[in-house]
Amino acid sequence: MTPQEVAAARDAGAVVLDMRLPRVFARAHVPGAINLQFNRADLADRADMVLPRNQPYIVHAEPEALASAAVDIMREAGFEIAGHLSGGLSAWRAAGMPVDTIQVIDVDDLKSSADSLVAIDARDGFEYRHGHVPGASLLPWTDAWAHADEAPSGELAVICGDEVRSSLVASILRRNGRSVRLVVGGMVDWNERGYPVEKQGAAKQA
Amino acid sequence: MIFKQFRFEKIGQASYLLGCARSKEAIVVDPIADLGTDFYLMEAADRALAVVRVLETHIHADYASCARELAESAGAEHHLFHAAPVRYLFSPLTDGQVLDVGKVRVRVLATPGHTPEHVSYLVTDRARSEEPWFVLTGDSLFVGDVGRPDLLVGDQAVDVLDEAARARLQYQSIKNVLFALPEHVEVYPGHYGGSACGGVNMSGKVSSTIYFEKRYSLAMQQPDELAFARFVRESAKPFPENYSRLKSYNLGLIADPRHEAAHA
Repeated sequence: MTPQEVAAARDAGAVVLDMRLPRVFARAHVPGAINLQFNRADLADRADMVLPRNQPYIVHAEPEALASAAVDIMREAGFEIAGHLSGGLSAWRAAGMPVDTIQVIDVDDLKSSADSLVAIDARDGFEYRHGHVPGASLLPWTDAWAHADEAPSGELAVICGDEVRSSLVASILRRNGRSVRLVVGGMVDWNERGYPVEKQGAAKQA
Repeated sequence: MIFKQFRFEKIGQASYLLGCARSKEAIVVDPIADLGTDFYLMEAADRALAVVRVLETHIHADYASCARELAESAGAEHHLFHAAPVRYLFSPLTDGQVLDVGKVRVRVLATPGHTPEHVSYLVTDRARSEEPWFVLTGDSLFVGDVGRPDLLVGDQAVDVLDEAARARLQYQSIKNVLFALPEHVEVYPGHYGGSACGGVNMSGKVSSTIYFEKRYSLAMQQPDELAFARFVRESAKPFPENYSRLKSYNLGLIADPRHEAAHA
């Protein structure tokens, strides 16, 4: 699909699935896109756990070979895929289309901004209960689409194990008009720094 | 770390993906055009990795490399040893140079012999230990065999060393550089099995250790450089198919010979 076709389909209700790496997605993406990291092994399974069936999608993956593979996988899984963004983000930009960004921070930034940022943990419940950033709210990646409007108020900073699930949730929150940051490095970095964690007892459901 | 060996069985060729699960960055070593740029990008994407460096152990003579295309496609650096006599731009490596990708550290070891610009890559996973874990030996040390030094004969435009000199270099590189590594270090070669880049003793096994090869490599059991050179020559296989044209392509001297064959 040309950038113009993608923009028109998106404005008519199709959701752009950006399958590039989270850090690349954060730098610039089609406004409204959500970041569902590509891989051949379980892309269909993850899509199934996250996305509703009753609406069309557009794939954005680079290069073209990945985009074609992704479209095939998603269609095989029964999703309605209108097509993919031909030529990727450079074609989008060349057509004069605007891009959106998500600000990236690391765990040091998150720790030092604990007063001004509300941490959202995008992992599964069992991981959250095992240990999370003190004060963080749980919004599991599998619930994010349906429950994005239940996220706490304030400036959000989304964290997971690394940055794959957090980028997905951050992009969904962003799509819902929220101000979000993506915490790269995730709990792996947080724990390596020896920063404090909160266990099960203090859990707050988002 | 993430480590994957890709085998192209038709010519017994091995290429590699090394990545850091933390930094989400990867290195590809010796990519082969028969598998193709998209193959490597897909394998990296499957592991959520961005390819940031493409390394070659040397200029290959038995297959078309896709290192240039892969580096361009991925926006990655293309590295060769500084002495590589190629007609295109690349990021030159020096002996002992260290490349870090996240927690994965790659040290360049000059191991000339198969070709003058041949290097091996010693890999350390610093997430586990500062000790080296394995070495990608390209066409210097194979499992059960060594890289033949005679593939450039007749290719004087790009190579000034004769076969005997290269055989001596190969012997010294393996003995003084690779066999000087800690013996636990694993060996991952550029070829295995029926590949024509070595001799009849090349194993179909796709990895070994310095310990094992030091003790049981028939070529390296030879008493001296001369005996080594004779042994390697006498145990060599027939030349690889189309090798001078493939080599010329990889040097950037001619267009891709596989395309010409397809049009013929």
